Amino acid sequence: MRLPRIFRTTPFRLTLLFLALFAAAASAFLAYIYVATAGEATRRTDREITREMLSLTSVYDRAGVDAVNQSLIERAASERPFLYLLMGRDGKRISGSIEESPVERFHGQPAWTTFQVSDVQSGRPVRRPARGLQERLAGGETLFVGADVGEDQAYVVKVVRALWGAGALVIVLGLAGGVLVSRNVSRSMAGLTEVVEAVRNGDLGARAPVRGARDEFDELAAGVNEMLDRLERSMAGHRHAGDAIAHDLRSPLTRLRARLEAAFLDVEAGRGDPRQALAQALDDTDGVLKTFAAVLAIARLQAAGAALDGAAFDAAELAADIAELYEPLCEDKGLDFKSELAAGLLVRANREFLAQALANILDNAVKYTPAGGAIMLRARRRSSGEVELSVTDTGPGVPEGERERVVERFVRLENSRNEPGAGLGLSLVAAVAAAHAGRLELDEGPGKVGEMGPGLRVALVLPRA
Amino acid sequence: MRILIIEDDVEAADAMERGLVEAGCECVRASDGLAGLDAARQGPFDVLIVDRMMPRMDGVTLVESLRREGDATPVLFLSALGEVGDRVEGLKAGGDDYLVKPYAFAELIARVEALARRRETGSVHTLLRVGELEMDLIARTVHRQGKEIDLQPREFQLLEFLMRHAGQSVTRTMLLEKVWEYHFDPQTNVIDVHVSRLRSKIDKGFDRPMLQTVRGAGYRLDA
Repeated sequence: MRLPRIFRTTPFRLTLLFLALFAAAASAFLAYIYVATAGEATRRTDREITREMLSLTSVYDRAGVDAVNQSLIERAASERPFLYLLMGRDGKRISGSIEESPVERFHGQPAWTTFQVSDVQSGRPVRRPARGLQERLAGGETLFVGADVGEDQAYVVKVVRALWGAGALVIVLGLAGGVLVSRNVSRSMAGLTEVVEAVRNGDLGARAPVRGARDEFDELAAGVNEMLDRLERSMAGHRHAGDAIAHDLRSPLTRLRARLEAAFLDVEAGRGDPRQALAQALDDTDGVLKTFAAVLAIARLQAAGAALDGAAFDAAELAADIAELYEPLCEDKGLDFKSELAAGLLVRANREFLAQALANILDNAVKYTPAGGAIMLRARRRSSGEVELSVTDTGPGVPEGERERVVERFVRLENSRNEPGAGLGLSLVAAVAAAHAGRLELDEGPGKVGEMGPGLRVALVLPRA
Repeated sequence: MRILIIEDDVEAADAMERGLVEAGCECVRASDGLAGLDAARQGPFDVLIVDRMMPRMDGVTLVESLRREGDATPVLFLSALGEVGDRVEGLKAGGDDYLVKPYAFAELIARVEALARRRETGSVHTLLRVGELEMDLIARTVHRQGKEIDLQPREFQLLEFLMRHAGQSVTRTMLLEKVWEYHFDPQTNVIDVHVSRLRSKIDKGFDRPMLQTVRGAGYRLDA
């Protein structure tokens, strides 16, 4: 049988546990009170009975059984009477306030007993606990002295009953409190549970409510939401990449297929030399593979998030290295290449990826800057402590409205369609920046100078190591 | 040249063998890691071409076993895993070079030749000589026909690599990897520009060019 949900919640179970502990402690407490009060009352009664018995036996020893009898009559009229029974040697009742002894088996030794006395209080019969002592007198007569344990005991019973009642009340209130707390916690959790359920069913847009209580549930909800944001972005990125790859690989693959088919038909028909078609096909294949490699690299960087491990090294040295690699190329293209590299720019990064990012930025600058233009590679530390690697060119630049878009995968501006490349260069740079908890900034270059410009400044900004 | 191809993809291995045989190599094939290890022990081979991911025993384990047994045959790893970490792992295991799939056949041949050659000229020279060209690795000077050629440090490294692989095709990727130590693929012809600068220094003014462009492959320095 399944319990209702509320009874299976953790807070409710904890409440039950605490109630059980409380009940155990309360029982021990009650037992102690009982022993300390009711036990004390019994002991006091016993002491009184013993004293009375002593006084009566001394009367007997002094003046005999008749004097005892007389004494019993007098004493029975006192304020708080003992119960007496005097029996002869034959065990027959001589006198007393009760008809027969509650002691069932008497062998001559002093014998204690606990029994009940009936009484009438305010018109209602009550039975009260009583204690009694029976002894054999020196002459062979038997004397029984008893007393009810009295008001004390009744008072203790009342206290104990009250305590039991209070205990029951505490348990009831505790259970109610447990249910309330459970419901409250359940409500807090319900939002999260719903979100998890929704995400499991494929709705990545679901978000947990943050109630603003700034408690641990809010923290958890905020954490879950952040995780989902990131997951959603990553999924959207993958979906976009998937579409883009399909789009961008399909055309070269289609071209490749057509070329191979044409070459095949030519060879079948014995026409011409297929070599050129094959060479073209190889080129096409290389292009597709390059695109593929770039897409994979980006995907891996994005999957790594900002958690790419890297060693600390001097970014200026790397920049100098890359500058040395690109300088002759610029010179050949009639571009004025300069570099301005500050010393000791320690960054913690993946050297290979950083080198590739810089190379991509320079590739772009070289591709788009017309002969006679200039390219400047700069490495410096910003006042914020961040390390900035930037490339400024005097090419046509990127219109402000387009700057965000050119970083996206496969986006190429209209006038650059006839340049080689798949439009992945800056996307890779952006992915490298993100994977190092840095960013990519695009700005206008030095401005328009004659036919040139306004140019583009691409900066890769990395956090201080 | 005797080459052992350890590759589980039969079609890829077929193509590789055809190309290598055409290039004058003798090929032995194994189609999984364990068979490959056995074949390698039968040796000797000039170069082992080892795929990284194979049934029964992966390439890295295979090469580690061989190295433990004292077999120093040059190993070229082939892998679809192109991450820097994967490359480092392969080289650490005892691989001598690492080629990421898919590759151009010219690239494979060039690397196999480079590995086989490295074995022949394993000893340390302080003086490299290719035809009329002389390179002093200590003084860091280069002479052709006794005339000193002034080179930038990187040009010197580039020429050193070409001289060590004289008579063999070396690809642009190999140059970027071995001389600049980068493993990415630039979109522009940066390497070509460096090579043509070097060419103008060592060939200009001499009757015969030594640094050849090999179509579809890369460059070759001839004696």
